[in-house]
Amino acid sequence: MAHTDTLLRYRPWRGVPHGPLYASVALARASLKLLLRRRLMWGLLALALLVFFFFFYAQYLVVWIENQLATDTIRFAGVPVNAKNLTRFLDRLALNGSDHTFGNFIWYQGYVLVIVLALAGSVLIGNDFFHGSLPFYLSKPIGRWHYLLGKSLAVGVLINLLTTGPAIVLWVQAGLLYDWRSYYVNHLSLLVGIIGYGLVLTVTLSALVMATAVWLRRTVPLAMVWMALFALLPMLANWLVEATKDERWRLIDLWNNLYLCGLSCLQTDHATIRPSPQPDYWMAWVAVGGGVLVCGMYLRRRIQAVEIVA
Amino acid sequence: MTVEQRIPRGPAGNLQLLGEPNASAAQSVAPPQRATLEPPLLLFEHVSKWYGPVLALNQVTLELTGGITGLVGANGAGKSTLLRMANGQIQPTMGRVTIRGVEAWDWRARRLVGYCPDVDAFYEDLSGRRFVWTMARLCGYTRREATRRTEAVLERVGMAHRAERKLRGYSKGMRQRIKLAQALLHDPELLILDEPLSGIDPIGRQELLELFQSLAVQGKCLLISSHELEALEKLTNHVVIMARGRIAAVGTLPQIRDLLDDYPLSVRIDVPQPREVAQLLLNLPDVLAVDVAPPLPHESPETLVVKATHPKRFYQQFGQLVVQHGLNIRRFEPLDESAHAILGYLLGGSGKT
Repeated sequence: MAHTDTLLRYRPWRGVPHGPLYASVALARASLKLLLRRRLMWGLLALALLVFFFFFYAQYLVVWIENQLATDTIRFAGVPVNAKNLTRFLDRLALNGSDHTFGNFIWYQGYVLVIVLALAGSVLIGNDFFHGSLPFYLSKPIGRWHYLLGKSLAVGVLINLLTTGPAIVLWVQAGLLYDWRSYYVNHLSLLVGIIGYGLVLTVTLSALVMATAVWLRRTVPLAMVWMALFALLPMLANWLVEATKDERWRLIDLWNNLYLCGLSCLQTDHATIRPSPQPDYWMAWVAVGGGVLVCGMYLRRRIQAVEIVA
Repeated sequence: MTVEQRIPRGPAGNLQLLGEPNASAAQSVAPPQRATLEPPLLLFEHVSKWYGPVLALNQVTLELTGGITGLVGANGAGKSTLLRMANGQIQPTMGRVTIRGVEAWDWRARRLVGYCPDVDAFYEDLSGRRFVWTMARLCGYTRREATRRTEAVLERVGMAHRAERKLRGYSKGMRQRIKLAQALLHDPELLILDEPLSGIDPIGRQELLELFQSLAVQGKCLLISSHELEALEKLTNHVVIMARGRIAAVGTLPQIRDLLDDYPLSVRIDVPQPREVAQLLLNLPDVLAVDVAPPLPHESPETLVVKATHPKRFYQQFGQLVVQHGLNIRRFEPLDESAHAILGYLLGGSGKT
């Protein structure tokens, strides 16, 4: 500060500043770093890792038992038990590298993912509105959509870190557990399906996180709305389906709709989906598409009006 | 040397007072070739802004091309709304705001604008350096360039050696400097500063004033909103005065004072023979009254307070009077040409903002 006459003497820079899309990526990176500074986030990631490890080792265990101990009996608490029966409790998870393996994995990761996204929404977006940090971002050469894109990218990374990425690792592992040449060739559609499932999750949940965070801003109301969406609505949907015998009531359960969309990407036979009965795939797609559309319209409306009024 | 001396000002004619229709306009400096070839740096055209039933800005027309302009007015006068609109944070309900011909709402316009908001809501977990660096990345710079610019601006605002601390531990003044640093990152042509001196200690204030002056000398245009009228007067006498959502006056303080015909100019004159000089002054057509001020302890007893209309004409007549009669003037001081006084006249009350 002493030599003010030399101020603003930048050494000439010959580069051209990147466009706002580049800034969106920078914003996403900064947002993720902010989020990862929180211990709670690391706790949730550890929980998600536990779910992944469960699937990873259970899949290995099932295959190992099938291959190595298929005909053996072992003594369990003094009682001879067929080794294959030991893993029967895992049958529901279909840990055999099939479409249901990945569908189930992503389903169970959803419990952690929902909490992660509620936290991410309030930290990354809600705080900007609530504490008034937006003027700093929006005074830079980026538009409102670029801001949202940056935040969506951060949310998308989280979603894929918890679901698509580990599911792909499970697919690779399944190939190594079986005949990898035939598995990778014959089940390539599963990999495409996993990526498709991840894409559906990314688009839908990003839009939902954005919309709810822009709407509610604070952590507690945000968590309550997410609980309602992902805990109460599924319970209500089950109750309504049982009461009315009409499976279309499941369409009010967003996570189930996403699950159905994911399974349709994985080309799962509709009849094998549990719990049953389930609405048709196209209905789930329409419901998810409608949700994304509503979120998009809400965000567009908000963005036209996002004005930094202290 | 003051900034006003360094920077040529615009024509005196671009000055209007509240009540006159629109076109409160224009000022000052910019490299001549730019001024002729390019659209104005900042242009408000008949801009109005409603917040529900509240009219925050009312038919504002304003043009800035360079130099330092102070934005003053009472709370709720519309200063912050105007600044946010200039930075594209708010859209006008009616009218148009452009930066070099580009709509201020468009992100491209913000390449030319640095904004230092009045709020200081940061991510408190970040260090000052990290925050500024992140802002540099949002400007589109590569990592290396962002680092270089971050260090440059931190040095510039005197925060280089304190930038590693987390923002939550910063004092008000340090936060102001960090806000200023992020506004300077992309070397903007137009710098919009909302209360930049608030919370800064006197030494720091002087440093920042020098910084603003050096920026203006380098051809930047600064629009500074502040309630610190004394500090603002040191920086510039070119002001935009806002009242009730309208631009009450634009111009230099003496220009604005000249137009305040309803309020006679008060001038203090110290002379050895006050009564004789008072008699001469009363013969001047623009002098309304002359008071012989009562003697105050430790002050010269020979003091006159003259009230006159048409300040410019009065100054000429008084000059002639002094030459004709060989008056020995010890002190000549206009009492109400300060920003405070002018604001008081324009806005009513004491002029407090």
